[in-house]
Amino acid sequence: MENLVMETPEQTVLERLEKGAAPPPEAELPPARTFEVKNMSIWYGEKRAIDKVTLDIASKAVTAIIGPSGCGKSTFLRALNRMHELTPRTRMEGTVLLNGKDLYASTIDPAIVRRRVGMVFQKSNPFPTMTVGENVVIGLRLNGVRNQKLLNERLEKSLRMAALWDEVKDDLHKPGTSLSGGQQQRLCIARALAVEPEVILMDEPCSALDPIATAKIEELIYELKSKYTIVTVTHNMQQAGRISDYTAFFYLGRLIEFGPTTKIFTNPSEKQTEDYITGRFG
Amino acid sequence: MIAPKHILGTFDESLAALRNNVLMMAGLTERSLERAIKGLFDRNDELCAATIADDEEIDQLEKQIDKDGVDILLRFQPVASDLRRVVSAMKLSSNLERIADQATTIARRGRKLNRHPPLAEVELIKPMYEHAMSMFKDSMDAFVREDVKLGCEVVGRDEKLDDLNQDASHKLVERMAEDPDQLRGYLNLIFVGRCLERVGDHATNIAEDAVYAANAEDIRHQSQTIAATTS
Repeated sequence: MENLVMETPEQTVLERLEKGAAPPPEAELPPARTFEVKNMSIWYGEKRAIDKVTLDIASKAVTAIIGPSGCGKSTFLRALNRMHELTPRTRMEGTVLLNGKDLYASTIDPAIVRRRVGMVFQKSNPFPTMTVGENVVIGLRLNGVRNQKLLNERLEKSLRMAALWDEVKDDLHKPGTSLSGGQQQRLCIARALAVEPEVILMDEPCSALDPIATAKIEELIYELKSKYTIVTVTHNMQQAGRISDYTAFFYLGRLIEFGPTTKIFTNPSEKQTEDYITGRFG
Repeated sequence: MIAPKHILGTFDESLAALRNNVLMMAGLTERSLERAIKGLFDRNDELCAATIADDEEIDQLEKQIDKDGVDILLRFQPVASDLRRVVSAMKLSSNLERIADQATTIARRGRKLNRHPPLAEVELIKPMYEHAMSMFKDSMDAFVREDVKLGCEVVGRDEKLDDLNQDASHKLVERMAEDPDQLRGYLNLIFVGRCLERVGDHATNIAEDAVYAANAEDIRHQSQTIAATTS
């Protein structure tokens, strides 16, 4: 496994790409758990948003985080790539291990963490001044990749993985914002995939999309889980049931229940989970 | 179990309507079975005819429950205990309809038997009927009260009904050989016994669905284990 401390942007992306990105040896394949979160607590100023959450996130599987508004699910998600630190007066306790390495160790560069743990947001956010193609490879360019052949290869590969290539291959020069809402969201997923992350975090990725665009993103998530660990926050219970392998239910900053999605949605162990997912909350 | 109110009042109403239809169907089915057997024992053709006539209403209720169940699945996409309750209600209605069919068959056999002199061997049917009816009533109680223990007990009682049916069949076959003039009558009683044995099977299915609705445990095809643990 790559070492978070030792690697540099050149080693993680450029070198890997230019050397042909050979698959890692068997011994270096990710362990069954991508994240090990232990006793995580997060405060925004005086307000505690996450309260002693301990949770392991399985590799190459989809984990859905559900819960009512304000329960801390987005904060938890953002803490998995240290994005919550961008909010002022944030404090965190506990440990988050990414493939066994402490994400919050003092020697870790948050920028590298965010490259290895990509994020897709609720509202698609392509860079408005960039073309479709530029939007996809911007992460690579910012990491110093100049080899046009590599950029083109990665552009096509990322768009294909995001199930967008066939729709935009003739419009790569058009502005990213000229695409439909669903296409823009897949463009953002392609942008996240282009830097070869290990994990993709999704914060309500379909909440602004129509049912057809939602179905495409859901199918994409299903396809991507064979290669990536995916953690998604959703308010849509049916969607959580459809796309996820594991489900975590948060309430008031606490992890109330975590388990296989089938179990959570047929026979949850906790009454609070049952009341929430059956619509009897509060 | 009384669940807290759903955030959508219409969901609670729909679920309650579905449950009420299941209970009404169970009540009609129980009445049909009682009437069919009473028609047989009392040699009462009217009761047999009433049983046969009531079957139509039960069939319509089965269709209504299926329609309402699909509507709930479509409109509310229930999960967890709600999903189990809807699925169980739909499965129950199918078993209730089949029990009512068995009652109808018993009523038809009863009418045939009533055309001939009474047979003392009709007494062989009584213990089977009592056992099958108690299984049916208890399976419905297990569903209504979400009583897992009672549901498992009902499943364990099916074997005894099979044994009773086998014993009665043997005796009736022997009687056929001894008294070939009444062969049709004995044959009709064998068919009645088989109907009651099938009622026990459907009661077992209902009890299994009741357990699933209550705690999501699938206890089907484990009857030997259950019999051992409940005996």
